[in-house]
Amino acid sequence: MIIKKISKSDIGELLRQSVEKWETYVPVDTDQGDTLFTLLPKEGSELENALEKVNLKDEWTVISPKDIFFPQLETMFSFEKDNIKEEVESSKKLIFGLKPCDVKGILFADAFFKRNLDDKYYLSRAEDRVIVAIGCLQPPRPEACFCTSAKTGPFIEEGFDLQLVDAGDEYIVEVASDKGREFVDLYPELFKDAEGDVSRSARKIKSDAADAVKVEVDFEKALAIMKGDPDLKENYERISERCLYCGACVYACPTCTCFNVFDDNKQDKGIRKRNWDACIFEGYTREASQHNPRKEKSVRAARRYEHKLKYDYKVNDVSGCVACGRCLASCPVNIGISKFIEEITTNKRIM
Amino acid sequence: MKNEYIPYKAVISSIQKESFDTNTYKVVFDDEKIGNSFDYKQGQFAEISLLGIGEAPISITSTPSRKGFLEFSIRAAGNLTDKIHELKVGDSLFVRGPYGNSFPYDEIKGKNLYFIAGGIGLPPLRSLINMVMDNRKDFGHVKILYGAKTPDEVCFKGELAEWKKVPDSEVWITVDKPCDGWGCSVGVVTELWKETEVHSENAVAFVCGPPIMIKFVLMELEKSGFKDRDIVMTLERYMKCGVGKCGHCNIGEKFVCIDGPVFTRHEVKAMPRQENVF
Amino acid sequence: MRKVLTTCIYCGCGCGLYLTEDKGLVTGAYPSVNHPVSKGSLCVKGWNCHEFVNRMDRLTHPLIKENGAFRKATWKEAIDLITKKFKAISSETGADSVAFLSSAKTSNEENYLMMKLARAVYKTNNVDHCARLCHASTVAGLAATFGSGAMTNSINEFEEADCYLITGSDTTAQHPLIGSRIINSVLERDAKLVVVDPRKIELEKYSTIYLQQKNGTDVAWINGMMRVIIEEGLEDKEYVEERTEGFCDLKKLVEEYTPRYVEKITTIPAEKLIEAARIYATTKKAMIVYSMGITQHTTGVDNVKSLANLAMLTGHVGRASTGVNPLRGQNNVQGACDLGALSNVYSGYQKVTDETAREKFEKAWEVEGLPGNIGLTVTEIISGLDGGKVRGLYIMGENPMISDPDSNHVRKCLENAEFLVVQDLFLTDTARFADVVLPGASFAEKDGTFTNTERRCERIRKTVDPPGEARADWEILCDVAKASGYRGMDYTDPAEIMEEIREVTPIYGGMRYDRLDSYGLQWPCPSLDHPGTPYLHKEKFAKGLGTFMPRPFIEPVESPDDEFNFILSTGRIYWHWHTRTLTGRTSTLEREAPKPFVEIHPEDAEKLGIKDEETVKVTSRRGNVSLAARITGKVAPGSCFIPFHYREAAANVLTINAVDPVAKIPEYKVCAVKVEKI
Repeated sequence: MIIKKISKSDIGELLRQSVEKWETYVPVDTDQGDTLFTLLPKEGSELENALEKVNLKDEWTVISPKDIFFPQLETMFSFEKDNIKEEVESSKKLIFGLKPCDVKGILFADAFFKRNLDDKYYLSRAEDRVIVAIGCLQPPRPEACFCTSAKTGPFIEEGFDLQLVDAGDEYIVEVASDKGREFVDLYPELFKDAEGDVSRSARKIKSDAADAVKVEVDFEKALAIMKGDPDLKENYERISERCLYCGACVYACPTCTCFNVFDDNKQDKGIRKRNWDACIFEGYTREASQHNPRKEKSVRAARRYEHKLKYDYKVNDVSGCVACGRCLASCPVNIGISKFIEEITTNKRIM
Repeated sequence: MKNEYIPYKAVISSIQKESFDTNTYKVVFDDEKIGNSFDYKQGQFAEISLLGIGEAPISITSTPSRKGFLEFSIRAAGNLTDKIHELKVGDSLFVRGPYGNSFPYDEIKGKNLYFIAGGIGLPPLRSLINMVMDNRKDFGHVKILYGAKTPDEVCFKGELAEWKKVPDSEVWITVDKPCDGWGCSVGVVTELWKETEVHSENAVAFVCGPPIMIKFVLMELEKSGFKDRDIVMTLERYMKCGVGKCGHCNIGEKFVCIDGPVFTRHEVKAMPRQENVF
Repeated sequence: MRKVLTTCIYCGCGCGLYLTEDKGLVTGAYPSVNHPVSKGSLCVKGWNCHEFVNRMDRLTHPLIKENGAFRKATWKEAIDLITKKFKAISSETGADSVAFLSSAKTSNEENYLMMKLARAVYKTNNVDHCARLCHASTVAGLAATFGSGAMTNSINEFEEADCYLITGSDTTAQHPLIGSRIINSVLERDAKLVVVDPRKIELEKYSTIYLQQKNGTDVAWINGMMRVIIEEGLEDKEYVEERTEGFCDLKKLVEEYTPRYVEKITTIPAEKLIEAARIYATTKKAMIVYSMGITQHTTGVDNVKSLANLAMLTGHVGRASTGVNPLRGQNNVQGACDLGALSNVYSGYQKVTDETAREKFEKAWEVEGLPGNIGLTVTEIISGLDGGKVRGLYIMGENPMISDPDSNHVRKCLENAEFLVVQDLFLTDTARFADVVLPGASFAEKDGTFTNTERRCERIRKTVDPPGEARADWEILCDVAKASGYRGMDYTDPAEIMEEIREVTPIYGGMRYDRLDSYGLQWPCPSLDHPGTPYLHKEKFAKGLGTFMPRPFIEPVESPDDEFNFILSTGRIYWHWHTRTLTGRTSTLEREAPKPFVEIHPEDAEKLGIKDEETVKVTSRRGNVSLAARITGKVAPGSCFIPFHYREAAANVLTINAVDPVAKIPEYKVCAVKVEKI
């Protein structure tokens, strides 16, 4: 792997230049104090203001940036009388400052939307993109992040174009792909050659970062248990009784991709849209006849956990959980997949 | 990249009333090219839209060998299908597909076939039945066992009569609530076991209908000695996209819209038990 | 793609959320991590609150009704017609022949302007809004006992409380992010939970003790609890002594309410009442939480006063994680009250009957002759349309056709309205009766502030432009005022309106926009250096000493009899909001709860031979609806519950418009009906 360096003070300039070529998404502090993945304005004072607030520290952006490729609400096509107009977005994108777990999530979603028949909306949004990951020195969601257990962070080995390693005043830049190489080659004055034994310092930083992750569960054991046919009805009942059905665990999850489709119209003009849906909702499987195979709450809870920890693994050899902890962090009643894993691997009741 | 979600306009060329709540719509694509490239197999379905109302998966009831049009038997059972029932010949609707897997065909040649349907479960089987009837000599004995709630609900009355006339083919019909002059059997479809013999030897059974009916038919078939791999059924699940993306019809790792809707009982048994799929 | 912090439009929790904007459309909503209420979470309505904004059936231009049909009109035409009519009516039959209904869904600034339009321009106090139908009893009851009619404590204080007494609030359904804090406290911190509700709400699962009272008997069980507490010496004597007045009267009145006597009235077993009273009285940090189940009665004010008595008796007011906590329903119902969209007060609860207050507002608004009579309330205004007491009515963002009691009566009134203006986002059931319809802007399309249930005044921010010619409500109101010949309603933006509000409203004195920028401030916030007030009545009550106001139990107006043998109570469900104007246009929410239903106890269902999901007819003396029966042990035998969201089977066809004598709130929670198989 090629290793470069970039000074933290040069990140602003890098982004200033990148917006000319890419729609650039980067974590930016809002005026009010949250940090969100934000599309950088193209130029002028708006760009400069945004650049000042770029925040590459280990912040919790509530939802994974999956909405860049898979918006919460999206137009599929518009129509007028019998004429249909397809609406597809396909800009070149630079996703800068993506956390390793989110990279894993996006790779998972990529594979899903490519499997069987193509999903043009997602794939055309995601087609031409550069991913610059940045590892976490501290877990952004200290009570929820458990990436070390699933080996999805705080740094990853592959799947990114570049990965930044925070080394104080500068970032060590790991270049993992041709796209990544082309990217650093575009900005030779900013990406400098690394001197000395950077690999070693990167290793130290990464291992300290891994030590900083507090939540640990036996992920492998959980997958093994789920692979069998465990009787977890009691867990599912308890979880589904406590659940408020807000949908946050699904909405915030980097690998959840379910959607609903509906039409919106006025007279003969209209739009067919799709929006995020969630398997925990009762109506999700209700048929026109009103028959509903998942009417029972606990069956829906089972569906969610089995999907993440069993069936995705069966199909892909990759778990559907990237251990980002967003489900727990956004759950109003403190339910999370890490807790579920802890329960089934230790036989303790913790939720 | 093809956009799987864009439906194409098709014009209704005829409407056949099948039962009090079910019509068969014969449709022809507006664009001939689309029509010619719409290559489907028995048992597949299409997504049918009315723009501004919505979209639903509907099984294709016409037979692939009969080209140039598609037929859909649609029961008025919800917002979209109610609206479709308001359409007249010459009106258009929108179609995309075909989707899903199909009923086995070459694999069942030489076998005795049982088609067991309840209510709106007959239309999905019609495509295969007609293929079999068109190539009758390739197959063994054929029995169609069909149950409906009332005589009014019996679909394809004309075709049922036609099928009955085909040599070595039987059609047995039963209704829960008969009316005056009803000449066939009374009771749920499994009652027909008392009236005609069902043998599992060299036989394949195709089962389609509401969940409760399937459940009882499966019990009877089991008693008659059918092996799980020789029972073929279609699964009904709520679907939106039809292309394995929206997630609604996902059971275990299977998508009913992609891996199904046709499954053998053997495959169904491997599905997670809490999903209530028989 | 931009992301803009704003405040949720649904319940009074006031969660902070970001709206995502893409190419002029709102394409998403998700929680703020650092907002003190949302903290990275939202309920399902919040997560989906963006969808209705883009709906194509939004109103996009003014409509004028001619010969029974609407036609497109220009803004000038519409506003000229409104002012012409209102001025004519006003001069013909007096200022009180016109009335204005403001809206708890619009901003503080807009509510302020609505009351200013009514009072300064049209010289009438006939301005009111739906708080009359939800927490009018709270405003009256808590103002009388404590001196301030608002939730005493803060949402985050739920995380520290040791005990909750929840009554008449289906908290997880109506205020999910408060409900979640209660669940977490019970499960993770062993907090005690006393639930008193005729309906087995979701929180009952977690309750330490559950009391199922007969609908409309609240004063009795509260008096009963106080009697137990006094009898057992569990009252906070020092607190009662130092901070309250009227204890002797209380003691005397509750004497009669022995647990056995209360059991007779309420059906709550005596020993359960005693246990619940002990739990509440003996925990240090105990919060009373209530909502419509307490307020929507002809004895609503009595109920509220009784709860206030209970809290004072045990010293559970004036500290963190205690208090009497009415959970406000609408996102801005607190603000709409604060800003004076009520028939009896100006902003900051300054009474219209108080001459000094009138003079102050006359000076501030540069007008003369502000009326000193208390105006008509919501139900009086609607009823006034029939018979011509009210000849011109301007409704902003309310849908009384579905939300007000006794729909058949409301329909008759709206049909007979001489001149009706409705300003809304969609052509609602009410708007169909209008002579002029004005298209407003949604929360995503304008700037302003909402005040949540914990008195937190927080910003909403414009994310996209309104569709077509639709305009922000504040802009429309200013234009109406201007066209009516008033010069004092001309602002460049809502921030400027807030500056005026600050001047005339002491509790909002420090609420300048720059100070509200992050996550708002809680009133009272009298000055620019004031940090806001997380809980009220610290050290002393707003009115000095807290006053015990003992009340005797009075029966509801309509009790079951041989013919109408069920008690009907109405309310909301988790998935929908009020008349479904917004949530009915949100695909996920509508799918989850697409149709109306009536909850019936299994015993009753068996008696009547009703199967689950079977259509039944529910009839009261005022009308009938047909809807699906949902057989559930949530309701008690002899009771039934219908959510009022559905126009398809509007619960308010059945409800009674008998009102509380003080607060004028209708008794939505008790009326007599019969249930029949069809």
